[in-house]
Amino acid sequence: MKRSYLIIGVVVLALLAFLPLIIGQYLLNNAVLIVMFVGITVAWNIAAFGGALSLGHAAFFGLGSYTMAILLLDFGVNPWIGMLAGMVVAAGGGLLLSIPLLRLRGPFFTLASIAFAEVIRLVAVYARDFTGGSEGLTIPYAPGWLNMSFSDREPYYYIVLGLTAIAVLVSVWIYYSRVGYQLRASGSDDEATRALGVNTAVLKVVALVISAALTGAFGAFAAQYFFIVDPETNFSLNLYSIQPALNGIIGGAGTVLGPILGAVLMTPIGEYMRGAFAGQQGLNFMIYGVVLVGVVMLMPGGLVSGIEKLRARFRRKRGAGRRTDTTAALNESRTEDRL
Amino acid sequence: MTTSKISGFARRHRTMSVATVLAATMVLTGCSGGGGAEVGEESGPIRIAALYPTSGSLALLGEESWRGANIAAQRINEAGGINGREVELVQADVPDVNGATSEARRLLDGEGLELAIGTYSSSLALAASEVYARGGGTYAELGAISEEYNDRGYENVWRTNPSAGSFAEVQIEFISEFVAPELGIGLDEVEVLLVHEDSSYGSSVARSVETLAAEAGITNIEYAPYNAKSTDLSSTVLGMEQADPDVVIAVSYASDAILLARQMEENGVVVPAFIGTGGGHTLSSFGETLGAAADYVFNVDFTQYAVNPDATPGLEEFLTMYEEEYGEGPASGHSLANFMGANVVFDILEQTGGDTSAEAFGEAAAAYKAEEGTTATGWGVDFNDAGQNTLAAPYVMQWRDGTLETVYPELVATIEPQLATEGQ
Amino acid sequence: MELLIQTLVAGVLLGGVYALVSVGLNLLFGVVRVINFAHGEFVMVGMYLAFWLWAGLGMDPYVSLLIVAPAMFLLGVIFQRGIIQPIQGTSANMKIFVTVGISIILQNLALFLWGGQYRTVSTSYSTSVFTLGGVTISVGRLIAFIGALVLVAALFYIMNRTMTGTVLRAIAEDGPTAVLVGIPVKKFYFVATGISVMLAGVAGVMLTPFTSASPTFGFHMTLIAFIVVVIGGMGSMVGSLVGGVLLGAIETLAGTYISPALQQAVLFAIFIIVVLVRPQGLFGKGAGTEEVGLK
Repeated sequence: MKRSYLIIGVVVLALLAFLPLIIGQYLLNNAVLIVMFVGITVAWNIAAFGGALSLGHAAFFGLGSYTMAILLLDFGVNPWIGMLAGMVVAAGGGLLLSIPLLRLRGPFFTLASIAFAEVIRLVAVYARDFTGGSEGLTIPYAPGWLNMSFSDREPYYYIVLGLTAIAVLVSVWIYYSRVGYQLRASGSDDEATRALGVNTAVLKVVALVISAALTGAFGAFAAQYFFIVDPETNFSLNLYSIQPALNGIIGGAGTVLGPILGAVLMTPIGEYMRGAFAGQQGLNFMIYGVVLVGVVMLMPGGLVSGIEKLRARFRRKRGAGRRTDTTAALNESRTEDRL
Repeated sequence: MTTSKISGFARRHRTMSVATVLAATMVLTGCSGGGGAEVGEESGPIRIAALYPTSGSLALLGEESWRGANIAAQRINEAGGINGREVELVQADVPDVNGATSEARRLLDGEGLELAIGTYSSSLALAASEVYARGGGTYAELGAISEEYNDRGYENVWRTNPSAGSFAEVQIEFISEFVAPELGIGLDEVEVLLVHEDSSYGSSVARSVETLAAEAGITNIEYAPYNAKSTDLSSTVLGMEQADPDVVIAVSYASDAILLARQMEENGVVVPAFIGTGGGHTLSSFGETLGAAADYVFNVDFTQYAVNPDATPGLEEFLTMYEEEYGEGPASGHSLANFMGANVVFDILEQTGGDTSAEAFGEAAAAYKAEEGTTATGWGVDFNDAGQNTLAAPYVMQWRDGTLETVYPELVATIEPQLATEGQ
Repeated sequence: MELLIQTLVAGVLLGGVYALVSVGLNLLFGVVRVINFAHGEFVMVGMYLAFWLWAGLGMDPYVSLLIVAPAMFLLGVIFQRGIIQPIQGTSANMKIFVTVGISIILQNLALFLWGGQYRTVSTSYSTSVFTLGGVTISVGRLIAFIGALVLVAALFYIMNRTMTGTVLRAIAEDGPTAVLVGIPVKKFYFVATGISVMLAGVAGVMLTPFTSASPTFGFHMTLIAFIVVVIGGMGSMVGSLVGGVLLGAIETLAGTYISPALQQAVLFAIFIIVVLVRPQGLFGKGAGTEEVGLK
């Protein structure tokens, strides 16, 4: 089973690598955004494997952005190293968030993660001398591969594609490994898994830290791509906390394909609607909200589970045996939450 | 494992076809979209990109700013356009920084619009103009004030309106020319408290004031940032009461300006000179909601509407056209500023014969001059090397009986300024 | 010293506002077990309703309570029937995201209908104060504070001295058994959600004399309400009151003595600390606290 997926993955990647040759700069910009959000969502989802639905990932994104920017502007550190440093700092943030992670369940962890991100954002606003405060920092224009700065979109596209491919690989590796299996089991029923002797705490923390580090990498990329790093944008609750969670849930949290599907679907829709409804304030986000509510209510396991159900029905019609499904277990009801 | 083989094939097949469809769509749209960038068409409308936040949290004044530019375009088209060609403003909504970058790319690369105007918000202006500057286009800012806009070393970014630095300059000038003498004290004795909301708007003004105050010799100056979304500004007001300053310079948005004024009144805090810096203190809703409590509040901002008509030709016409088009009066002076700026852009295009390319525009803009008192805002025009209009400056207004009258400088004033402590 | 007292008074009054906003959330979580991320948006709806009644009909906000309260109760019932009921059986995380979706919808609906500008009500008593021993107290905020006390007292009475309240508490404590015993749990959910949303709307109305309405006001309030509920303790009405007042006081003290720019950060930091050190809050009883349990 794994071999065929690997081949599909490579094929898709190859196709995507040729994309810039066929589309123009504007569409390429869209492509960069879509790929970036796929990457961020996949990264978010890694924490979700372990049952942690965080709404505070913007913290890691912003930490990555600011680390890269501050190191570059104040210490002249090369952006590529800055990106690595950003990942480290974001991972540190992930470690911090692990403390609530281990002590709180479900929605309370989610709440704590929001508060966590907000505190960091407010500190970024307050520490003006260090972070440029609300006005933020601007990355100077110095084209060249060494500086991760370009006038065309293509190099940016390849960088973000590479980052996303890495994120997906990590995601796949975790999902299919034994460690990943234990992680997902603890996400779905922590007590039972622990009863089997698995150290779920370590697994969850590692998942969160990896998730944070990857998100930080995208944050660093964004600093170079958008040239501007400011608290309102780079620590934005809406953009980098809620969006990836939304994409992941709509696609199917806790699966490999889910976050990819969710991001690929929702990002262009969001961009399109913003353009289409330019005059009517709020209409595009309202529709966004309706889609979210609709999907969550009708397909709690996300698109992935919806597709699985369709295929199951298709297979049943053909007379093939039923296949038990371990994916999307996260989103199905748990006895203790039901009344 | 027969089932998995079938499903594996079906999966691969499906993924391949999805990828193919995706690629095909991209090719088709890419072909049709990519070929549109032709430079300098001699006939047909002159198309200019217009990036304003008309949705999201900045929508109120973003929309207001857009209206000014829109009316300028309408007016010039009614008068025959530029060189007989119609001016077409291609409007794009840019609610946030990512949107600004995306839309700028779309308009510059996808639509081939080499000239852009906008943007009201500083962070949006910075984002959009980066795209244009790096991409060989021209960006003309008509309303955002952040100093950084002209500070990046780009050749093709221009700005017709005053920057944050000039707001600070006028604040300090007003303090030294009027407030300190009225109070009978020297500049080194005046106590100033700078109360500002903590987003980029408030911080940029605060920073400018900080630099200029030191140079001007104002040594007693303290800073009190606050969050614009607070439901309670008691801490700030109590701090103000403790500090008992001669001058408060305030930088606020709409609701916090009102909240601050109300809580100051509740606590009986009166400051001889309370000087707002545009934003919430300029809005008509400030005067309407507070009524008498707004009286004697000074405000440094773009030209407003109670101003000497001799120094602002075209303002009346603007007001008439605005009423006709939108059925209400302007919410603030932002529309007027954008109206004036758009007109300057059109004038420059007259010089280039409708050529919107960066070289042509740049040459004509550098040479373009206008005297103070000859535009609808009263500002002159003279761009420096960094693209900033050095003859644009905010004026000082004061709320009196529900109207925002202009009180300084004399050229544009309608009435004399008065300290709050005198006028009680 | 005078500064300290004035700060405390301002803080307590602010806390009253916070308590007012969070009481409804507490009820909803305790009984229906839903973490309603759209709670702040319901407060916002209440504010807008009060504003438009004032702007259109000249109705004083406190008078408009007579219209807004029942209207919001109805909205709550619809909310329960249409949104909460279908997802009752799903995981808590799903409930969060559905209500996040509702919050997005409501926020942008307000933006779409009424635009982004702040709407401020201006009454004769908007800036009225009365002074007590050198301390100024804003009339509007004092009324809101008293309102919070009244509402908490009323809720306390309903929950502990009426049949409806007893049933609600029974459902809160042990839902499955309540069903077994034949209690029409669904109907009572309507009551609970109805009251919760109504309380949110009432809070909004009481804020209107001194706070401007805007589409984005809700989210800010939701977060604060959650902090209050967690600090005060899930399921405890008194906890919401005390928690709210405490939070208001801390925020204002932090604002005066540290920096107004950091006062919100202090709140969030305290939230995180409380949640780690004493997750059941100050007055946390049984109901719902197992969700926050230590591992």
